[in-house]
Amino acid sequence: MLQFKLVLLGDSSVGKSSIVHRFVKDSFDEFRESTIGAAFLSQSIKLDEDDTVIKFEIWDTAGQERYKSLAPMYYRNANAALVVYDITASDSLSKAQSWVEELKNKVADDKLVICLVGNKLDLCQEDSGKRSVEISDAKQYADEQGLLFFEVSAKTGEKVNDVFKSIGESLYSYKKEELLSKSEQNGTNTHGQVDLQLQKPATSDPTSCCT
Amino acid sequence: MGLRTTSKEMDQKSQAGPSGSNKSSVSLVSSLMRSWKITSNPSSQKSSNSNSNSYSNLSGNSSGDNRLNSGNFDAMSKQQTAAIKSSSSYSPLRYSTPVSGISVGESPRPLLYSNHRNGDHESSIKKDAYFKDLDEDWSAVIDDYNMPIPTIANGGISRSNSDNLTSTSLSKAYDPSLPLSRKVTNNSMKSSSSLGTNITQQGTAQSSHNLSYPQLPQLQKSVTSELKLQLEMENERELQKINSIMQRITKFDCIVSDKKIINQQELRQISWNGIPSIHRPKVWKLLIGYLPANTKRQESLARRKRQEYKDGIKHIFTEEHARDVPTWHQIEIDIPRTNPHIPLYQFKSVQNSLQRILYLWAIRHPASGYVQGINDIVTPFFQTFLTEYLPHSQIEDVEKLDPESYMTEEQIGDVEADTFWCLTKLLEQITDNYIHGQPGILKQVKNLSQLVKRIDVDLYNHFEAEHVEFIQFAFRWMNCLLLREFNMSAVIRMWDTYLAETSVETSSGSSTTFQSTGAAGTGSGESNPHTPLQPTNPTFQTPGSDYHSPSSHTNASSKNISSGENNRLRYSSLNEFHVFVCAAFLIKWSDKLMDMDFQEIITFLQNPPTAEWNENDIEMLLSEAYIWQSLYKDATSHWQ
Ligand SMILES: Nc1nc2c(ncn2[C@@H]2O[C@H](COP(=O)(O)OP(=O)(O)OP(=O)(O)O)[C@@H](O)[C@H]2O)c(=O)[nH]1
Ligand SMILES: [Mg+2]
Repeated sequence: MLQFKLVLLGDSSVGKSSIVHRFVKDSFDEFRESTIGAAFLSQSIKLDEDDTVIKFEIWDTAGQERYKSLAPMYYRNANAALVVYDITASDSLSKAQSWVEELKNKVADDKLVICLVGNKLDLCQEDSGKRSVEISDAKQYADEQGLLFFEVSAKTGEKVNDVFKSIGESLYSYKKEELLSKSEQNGTNTHGQVDLQLQKPATSDPTSCCT
Repeated sequence: MGLRTTSKEMDQKSQAGPSGSNKSSVSLVSSLMRSWKITSNPSSQKSSNSNSNSYSNLSGNSSGDNRLNSGNFDAMSKQQTAAIKSSSSYSPLRYSTPVSGISVGESPRPLLYSNHRNGDHESSIKKDAYFKDLDEDWSAVIDDYNMPIPTIANGGISRSNSDNLTSTSLSKAYDPSLPLSRKVTNNSMKSSSSLGTNITQQGTAQSSHNLSYPQLPQLQKSVTSELKLQLEMENERELQKINSIMQRITKFDCIVSDKKIINQQELRQISWNGIPSIHRPKVWKLLIGYLPANTKRQESLARRKRQEYKDGIKHIFTEEHARDVPTWHQIEIDIPRTNPHIPLYQFKSVQNSLQRILYLWAIRHPASGYVQGINDIVTPFFQTFLTEYLPHSQIEDVEKLDPESYMTEEQIGDVEADTFWCLTKLLEQITDNYIHGQPGILKQVKNLSQLVKRIDVDLYNHFEAEHVEFIQFAFRWMNCLLLREFNMSAVIRMWDTYLAETSVETSSGSSTTFQSTGAAGTGSGESNPHTPLQPTNPTFQTPGSDYHSPSSHTNASSKNISSGENNRLRYSSLNEFHVFVCAAFLIKWSDKLMDMDFQEIITFLQNPPTAEWNENDIEMLLSEAYIWQSLYKDATSHWQ
């Protein structure tokens, strides 16, 4: 099993908590209390590729501007970031973009996986007039920045699991690369040993310590 | 649930049970603490001893199990052990007083202790007379401040004098017209009876507008059969509950309506232990300093303030006012997300009211502006002030009824205004929590961690080992004043105490310091005539006397709270006290948390099992916080 830390960022009420709850509990509440500080949840998924189990330790942060200074504490050690905006509120995309900027500037790890997620897809499916962020614009931005990109609905659950799966796959492939390159450097490890190492959580990650 | 050993490793090794954790270094205090735990153990209820019976309520009532509470007492005893051993200058150990009062020579304490370690409670403990004394000692400590009115409750039942001792002192404490005698005599059955009557009559006379007081049944005279006795005890407890409620109502009636100038200090003291719901709206407004103590000025001031609010609202909906769109929008988003599980907050009229209140507050306080969490903090005020417009019998239904169904628009405006001003007053005390960077919260979180480090270093170390940071769970505790952790009725009860904590500057008077009250435990010397609760101190001094108390869980908490509270008023602010409440709340789960890893800890603390908490649980928490605050007063000196 591999453990990764994931952080959710984005403007208030874009649906960060709703996405996490859909992913972790497969449920949706029309009215969920705003997040204060940050909330922790975890969930595991199995990748199609060699049945690897990936466990996400998720910090769902609070979106209001006033809480912004807390965010670094949560993204500092993150392996992945899910930057959420609301496709019915164009302001929220620019907010998401500023989060992407911040992550790129502040997180040293160039292996940080960032996924841009437009939420509330269901609203636009009901009434296309509600859309205020074009999918092509967001997609283009994501490509330029090298981000994963999805439009989802926490309400219906559409594509929510795909987000996490795709993040998991990216993380997994990075991990494999990393270990392979390490073993090449050492020149001693065989492939089998690499797999063995994969079973161990990253030692740099304090919370993944199994004791 | 023995004392936790000092190192985590030992803790893990000695999984076998409470045994093996302690050696001879156990202090008197810790055995005392222990004995309390044992008596509060449900198993002790099996005992036919009527004494232990009086505790069944205590353990039965608490929805959390004793284990949960015990963590605190473990830690307290630990601390006291250390303090007693190490320091003579560190004296105000309130709870060591009863122990030092016990003559050590005849003490079967080792027996007591080994009983505990064997976990063999039922069989031997109750036979131990010493144990009984200890029980009673604790029952005294955790007694109610407004214990039974003996006339009615136990007029015919043979009870030990000491019951009446308690009642008397407390009855006296509650009758402002009587000169306080801090020396409580034992032959007080008679006087307590008359006192009880006195108060009851007073109650009927003074609150004739509250005619719905229940009739008090008369209990039959002495029955010897154990069973009947037990039944009677239960009845008696019920009765005492009713009596004490009546007594409280009467007391509040007295304070709130009878005087030209309301005695703020007295009001704070009594409110700290809970406010009857019919008095709550008015008392909250007084406590927070919205309504003036001068009764004559109240009406005109309220009228002026309400008008001021309404003008403010009118203004923000005119053209001249350029709407602060982001703020308005953020509030708009948060309103439907406020208390989503309480029907009251789903009514459009209520949502509109809250939106107006929050928006006006935000634009009037640009340094902080609207911050999420303030939407939570506004609700206890709003909900409580609505109850003023409900008939007494329907106060409980406030969460279900649409205010538009029982109030005029004008009245709703008044409630909005009152809510707005009280919110303003409250947030004034914690402005640092919501300004940029939220320094107030960060500081409180830090204070909490330092406090826990001192109170429960094992837990602190465990958190460190698991990389749990206090800010990860305590930020919300500070930001929302624990509102998110409890149900509304528990929160409202908590706020009785919190609001009694608010304005430090308005409470004047007594020159008694904390230390002198601490000393009063042994000397009971300079009693303060303004302290109705002073007479409770003697209960700490008579640990050996043979009295027992049918204390309920509620009682249990209140007494702790009440003693010495006079001093707290001048020492503490809401912020400081809140940190102690958070500490008590955290340490409550200490035993559980010690067995958890990072993920379990965070998950647990984000969803603490408090859904079923009622007022009793909150009172227990507050009383624990109070004890911690008394013991760790020195820790707060650099908090400001
Ligand atoms: N229609 C629709 N509404 C959604 C969806 N996801 C979230 N919402 C609504 O958007 C509101 C905010 O959702 P949250 O998940 O609390 O938003 P958040 O990003 O966590 O907000 P903060 O905690 O304040 O940062 C809620 O009222 C949800 O009902 C969605 O996929 N479709
Ligand atoms: Mg959220």
